[in-house]
Amino acid sequence: MARRDGWALWAGVAATLATLVVVFYYPVASVFAEAFSAEGRLSLAPVLSVLSDPFYVDLFAFTAYQALLSTVASVLIGLPGAYVLARFEFPGRRFLRSVTILPFVLPSILVAVGFLAMFGRTGLFNDVLGIVGLGPVNLTFTLEIVVLAHAFYNAPLVTRLVTAAWESVDADRVETARTLGASPLRAFRDVTLPQLLPALATAAVLTFVFTFMSFPIVLALGGLELATVEVWLYSQVQSLDLAEAATLGAIETALSLGLLYVYLRYEATRTGSSSGDRGLSRRPLVDGARSLLDPLRLAMLAYGAVVLVLFAGPLVSLIVESVTTPGGQFTLEYYAFLLARQASTAAGTVQPFPAVVNSLLFGAATLLVAIPMGIVVSVVATREGRGTRTAEVLLTAPLAVSGIVLGLGMLQTLVFGTTLFGRRLTVTGPVAIVAAHAVAAYPFVSRSVTPALRSVDDRLGEAARSLGADRTTVLTDVELPLVAPALVAGAAFAFAISVGEFDSTVLLAEGVDTATMPVALERYTDDRSIGPSLGPATAMGTVLLAVTTVSFVLIDRVGGMWE
Amino acid sequence: MQRRAFLSQAGLATAGLAATAGCLGDSSNSESGTVTVATYSSFTGEDTAGNWLKSAFEDEHSDATVEFRTPENGINRFVQRKSQGAPIDADLFVGLNTGELVRADEQLDEELFATVEDEVEGANVVDPSLSFDPEGRAIPYDTGFISLVYDENEVDAPGTFDALLEPAYEDALIVQNAQQSDPGRAFLLWTIKAKGPDGYLDYWQGLVDNGVQVLSDWQPAYQAYENEEAPMVVSYSTDQVYYHGEGVDMSRHQVGFLNDQGYANPEGMAQFADSDNPELAREFMSFVLTEEAQKEIAVRNVQFPAVEGVEPGGDFGEYAFRPPEAVTYSYDELVGKVDGWIEDWARQIASA
Repeated sequence: MARRDGWALWAGVAATLATLVVVFYYPVASVFAEAFSAEGRLSLAPVLSVLSDPFYVDLFAFTAYQALLSTVASVLIGLPGAYVLARFEFPGRRFLRSVTILPFVLPSILVAVGFLAMFGRTGLFNDVLGIVGLGPVNLTFTLEIVVLAHAFYNAPLVTRLVTAAWESVDADRVETARTLGASPLRAFRDVTLPQLLPALATAAVLTFVFTFMSFPIVLALGGLELATVEVWLYSQVQSLDLAEAATLGAIETALSLGLLYVYLRYEATRTGSSSGDRGLSRRPLVDGARSLLDPLRLAMLAYGAVVLVLFAGPLVSLIVESVTTPGGQFTLEYYAFLLARQASTAAGTVQPFPAVVNSLLFGAATLLVAIPMGIVVSVVATREGRGTRTAEVLLTAPLAVSGIVLGLGMLQTLVFGTTLFGRRLTVTGPVAIVAAHAVAAYPFVSRSVTPALRSVDDRLGEAARSLGADRTTVLTDVELPLVAPALVAGAAFAFAISVGEFDSTVLLAEGVDTATMPVALERYTDDRSIGPSLGPATAMGTVLLAVTTVSFVLIDRVGGMWE
Repeated sequence: MQRRAFLSQAGLATAGLAATAGCLGDSSNSESGTVTVATYSSFTGEDTAGNWLKSAFEDEHSDATVEFRTPENGINRFVQRKSQGAPIDADLFVGLNTGELVRADEQLDEELFATVEDEVEGANVVDPSLSFDPEGRAIPYDTGFISLVYDENEVDAPGTFDALLEPAYEDALIVQNAQQSDPGRAFLLWTIKAKGPDGYLDYWQGLVDNGVQVLSDWQPAYQAYENEEAPMVVSYSTDQVYYHGEGVDMSRHQVGFLNDQGYANPEGMAQFADSDNPELAREFMSFVLTEEAQKEIAVRNVQFPAVEGVEPGGDFGEYAFRPPEAVTYSYDELVGKVDGWIEDWARQIASA
C-alpha cells in the first residue's frame, strides 16, 4: 500500500506534520498548558471557573449571536455573486472574479476607516441618501455596521468558493436531467445544488469561525459595548493575564474545532462524483436592450447596486481619504510622505518599497510551501478509513485557533527561543515568517481543493493505477488538472493570507528589514512626524490595494492557463 | 518662580556639559559601545525625538552607537522575556508609564529594572510631581495631560465630569478602551480620581446611558471624531500643536479640562537590570534630561518636558495647554488596584 502511494506523498505528509509541530502545535500547546493547570498540577479548575461565570456565558452567547448574524449576511450577499460570476458572461467578469479575494487582505484599521468614511454620520452613503430625500441612517457603533463589515470580509469568501464549485458542475448531467423532462428549477435542485452545497457549507462554517474570532473590527466600529470573546482575550494578553487568556483561547478553540469536525463529517458524506471535464456554459449578462427588463436581470442589477455600495464604497472612500486633508481639501502630502520615507536613512524607519517587495516575496514563498501542504492534506482527507476525519481536523486546526493565541505562543516559544545543549535557539527572520504564513494559509488550499478532489470520478484514477501509475502520478497527472479552478482559488487565498497577515509577522520580525505592507501601514498609523493622521496609512493602504489587485489578477490569469 | 527654575536648570545643564566635556577629554571615563534602546515605534523614524537623540548623542560620544528596538507589544515583551528566562537584549526602555511599571512589578519576582536615580545626572531636577517610581528606577522624561478635545461649533466645554451626564452631551463623547490604550486608561483613572473607587462604576453607567462610545485606541477614536461621529474625544492637551496652521479651523480642536484638571501621564525611561552596558545607558538617560534634549523631545514628541523650567518655545509654547491643576495616581496608589479597577470597568461596559 505504502509503495503504491508513492514516496513523494509520504514525504509530503511528513514535511507537513513537521512544519505544523514546530510552527503551530508546539507554540499553541505552550499557551494552552496554562488553561489546564492550577498551581503546577493538571486541573480543569480554570476552564470550569470561566464556564461558571455568568459574564463569560453572556460573552460567549453574544459572540455566537453576532457570528451567526454575520454568517447569514455573508451568505445572503455572497451567494448571488457566485451565481452571476459562474453563470453569466460579461466584460470584466474574470477581473471581478480575481478581485473578490481583495477584501481578505485589507487590514482592519483601513476597513474601519473606509467604513466610517462611507457609512458614517457624515459619510458618502448618508450624503447620497440626503440628495434623494432619505436618511440619515445612523450605523456607526451599532451591531449592524459590525455585521456589514464582517460581510465585507466574508461574503467574497462565499462568492469565491461557490463560484469555483459552480464552474465545475458537470454540464452533461444537468442536460441529461433536462432531457429527461426536469424543469430548470428541478434540474438545479436535484443536480446542481447538491454539488454546490459542500462549498457553500465550507464558506458558511469558515465565516462563522472567523467572525466568532473577530476582534479588531468589533472594537474599531462597534466599541467595547459589543465585546466578543476575542476582544476579551486580547485585553487579557495586553494586561499579561495569560492564564485567563489561555483558558478563553482553549474554550474558543474547542468550539471551533468541534464545528469543523461536524462540518468535515458532513462534507465527506456528500460524494457527488463528476468528471468535471465540461462545465456549464455562461449566458451573456446583457443580451439586447429587452433583456434589461427581464425580472431576473433587474434583480441582478439591484444586487449590483448593493454590492457597489457595500464593497466599492469603502474602498473608494479609502482612496479618497488618502488624497484629502481632514479639512476636505485635495492633497498629495501623504504620498509625498511615502516618497520621503523611501529616501530616509533615519534609524527605525520602515520604507515603503522594501515593504512591497517583502510582501510579494513572502507571498510567493508562502505559495511554494502552502500549495504542496494543502494538497497533501486534501489527499489525506479524501482517503476512506477510520480516523480520517480526526486526522483532517488535526491537519486543519490552524483555522480554528485565533491569531492572538498563535501569536502569543510563537512569541513565547520561537521568538524567545529555548536553550538546547547550552545554546539558545530562536526562530525569527524570513524563514520563520514564511513558515507562519504557510501554516495560516494552507488550510485554504485544502478547503478549496478537497471538495473538488472528492468529486473527481474515481474510475479515472483507478484506470490510471491499473496502467501502473502510483498515487502521486495519478494526483499530479490526472486529478490536479481536473481540479485546477479550485487549486487556483486556493492559491489566491494562500497569497492573500500572506500579504494580509499582520500578527505573527510583527512578532517574528522585530527589525525593519522584514517589514511587510501591513506592518509598514501600521507603523505609519501613528507616525508623529506627520501628526495624528491616518493619511500616510491610507496612502500605504492604497498602494497595498493596487499591488494586491495586480497580483490576484495575475494569479488568476496564470492559473487559468492551466485550466 | 519659573524663571528661577529655569536659571537653576541652565546652570545645571552647563555643569552637565562640562562634565561631558571632561569625559571626552579623559578617554578612560568615556563610555563606548552600543546602547540598545527599546521604545515604541513612533519614537523612532524621520524627524522623531528618538532619531534626534540618536544623532545628538552619537555626535557627543564618538565611540557610542544608539540602536532601537520597537517590539509591537512594548514593555509586555520584556516582562514576558524576563519571566520566561529569555535574554532581554536591550539596555534601556523608553516610554514607560506608571500603570505599566506597576504591572511589570506585579508580574515578576525578579527586578526587571535597576535603581539608577542617584547615578543619572539631572534626575534630581525632574519635576517631582511627575516622578512616579518610589524606587528610583523609572525617570520621567516628558508628560502628556489627558483632556477633552471638542468642536466648539457643536458643544460648549462641559467643564465638569457631572456635566457629561447631561442631555446636552448625549452621544457626544468618544473615549478609548482602558484595557489597551494609554489615554483611555488615563481617562478612566481620572474618573476614579474624581468619583472615588466606590463611585466610578456608577458614574460610568451614567456615561454609557448618555451614549459614550468606547473605541479600541486613540487612532480609531480620533478618526471617528474627525469623521464627526461625535463632537468630543478624549485626547491630549497638546492637540493644537499638531493642528495649528494656515487654513485650519481651530474651532474643531478646542481643548477642554474637566473640573479644571488634566490627568498627567508621565513617560519614563528605565535601565534594564540585565543591561550589558549600564554605564552608557545611564549616560544616555542623563543626555535625555539635558535642556537641549528636553526641548527637542517636547517639540518632536508633542509632550511637555519633564525637567522643571524648560520651555520648548516657538509654536509649542503657544498651542500646548497646561491644565490649571494636574492630577495623577502615584505608583503606591495603583499597586494591587489598577488591574481590578480596569477589569470591573470593562465588564460593566461590555455587559451594558
